[in-house]
Amino acid sequence: MTTPDNEIQIDVCGLEPPEPLERVLDALSRLAAGQRLRVVIGREPIPLYRILENNGYAYQTHSREDFLYEILIWEKDKS
Amino acid sequence: MQRILTFEQTPPLSVPLRFFLTAPLFAFAAALLLLWHGSDAFATRWSPVTLGLTHLLTLGFLAMCMIGALLQMLPVVAGVVIPYSRLTAGATHALLVLGTLALVAGFLTGVPTLFKVAIPMLLVAFGWLVLAGLRGALNVQQGSDMLTAIRLALTALGIAVSLGLTAASGFAWPLSLPLMQITDLHAAWALLGWVGLLVVGVAYQVVPMFQVTPTYPRILTQWFTKAIFVLLALWSAASLLTPSQPGIWQNIFAAMVVCGYVAFCCITFFLLWQRKRATPDATTMFWRTSLGSLLACSAVWLTGVLFPAVAGNAGYPLALGVLFIIGFGYSVINGMLYKIVPFLVWYHLQNQLAGGCAKAPNVKQILPDAMAQKQFRVHLLALALLLASTIHPKWVASLAAVAFAVSSAWLWLNLMKAARVYHRMMASQPAQKDATAT
Repeated sequence: MTTPDNEIQIDVCGLEPPEPLERVLDALSRLAAGQRLRVVIGREPIPLYRILENNGYAYQTHSREDFLYEILIWEKDKS
Repeated sequence: MQRILTFEQTPPLSVPLRFFLTAPLFAFAAALLLLWHGSDAFATRWSPVTLGLTHLLTLGFLAMCMIGALLQMLPVVAGVVIPYSRLTAGATHALLVLGTLALVAGFLTGVPTLFKVAIPMLLVAFGWLVLAGLRGALNVQQGSDMLTAIRLALTALGIAVSLGLTAASGFAWPLSLPLMQITDLHAAWALLGWVGLLVVGVAYQVVPMFQVTPTYPRILTQWFTKAIFVLLALWSAASLLTPSQPGIWQNIFAAMVVCGYVAFCCITFFLLWQRKRATPDATTMFWRTSLGSLLACSAVWLTGVLFPAVAGNAGYPLALGVLFIIGFGYSVINGMLYKIVPFLVWYHLQNQLAGGCAKAPNVKQILPDAMAQKQFRVHLLALALLLASTIHPKWVASLAAVAFAVSSAWLWLNLMKAARVYHRMMASQPAQKDATAT
């Protein structure tokens, strides 16, 4: 289990598509080895999933009680 | 980990794009036809030119874009599998183009053979789409409110096409049909059912997402489209029972449908008013125009019901048609194309350039908002002139035709610019091309 220290969190709620996706990809490109990215977003980012799968990332989606989604993303071979 | 299968079914860019790039050409053809015939097109709703114009816009533009959007959205947003998506797109597009041209030529010339050609083409195009779409949409177990709206809109399309083709048969063969009654039912199911319900269902998703507004109230998204569909069915039954004149029940059901759409407009206006960005973009302006036109259309309809002298005026049904087809349907689709096309181009580039993590150009670079804003102003001018033509067609109709021709050509050029960005960037990265791009 990764500690929160090893996580970067970004909040992309309230942004017009495709800005949330662009910000996630930007954040991923700056991710250090072993780091995880936690994304808070207003709706489930279905288009992001295939990009992640194609590029060797794993992800976990959590639907929150406040109707927001949290996506935890990490590189498969480095976690 | 959550398994997401829907995105795997993203159709190739060419599937929706061929519909979106063809539609403005039909609008341009409608503008040229109006320029050619001038004020004659506004003499009566039953004139061959008016019928031809109407179908260039409804089949050639509205249905063309709505089918393209459905083929894109059903697999991605709703997880609906469209069988043989490339073949379905190619065949329905070709049949819709040729069928619409044959039907319009039939209206303009009165040659029965052209109707005999158009009927099977349109029957296969729409039949294929309705059956493929409904089959897929019904197979999805847990559908969203948008999917419910799409199911009802497709059913309404099936009814509208059946009625339309029945009416067209009256032009193709010597049949004795109650053409006016069939046409009224056909127009109601096509416009208030198919167009209205699909726009409402899509609005549930795209208004909060692209306009960055709060979401629609749950009670509206749960019940609205179902209620409108049932009311349309009741209105149709009342119309069939009292065919000679509009009865009290017919007016009551129609008024309830109109009240429903007025409520939808007011709620959407309220959501747009609460949007988190201060400056409205071109799509916001198109949404406002569309909703304003639908409210104006409702007001004109009510005036006609309350004052029969107004309803007896030849311009009355034409004003309703201009406000609904151009003002409401065309405006909102024109506006949404400015979000859909750059987004799709960006998205396919993002996926295909350097394995998905390279930088594709920003959507605002693919289609700058300033270009869309300029086209919006011409569209608004064209709409105002078309509306004025229903009252005073003499020379205004030609002016309206020129404005509408400029607006539709400009829309096409703007969309082509976005498509060219895709092809230019893909051409510069030949190794990254994959089969989904073609």
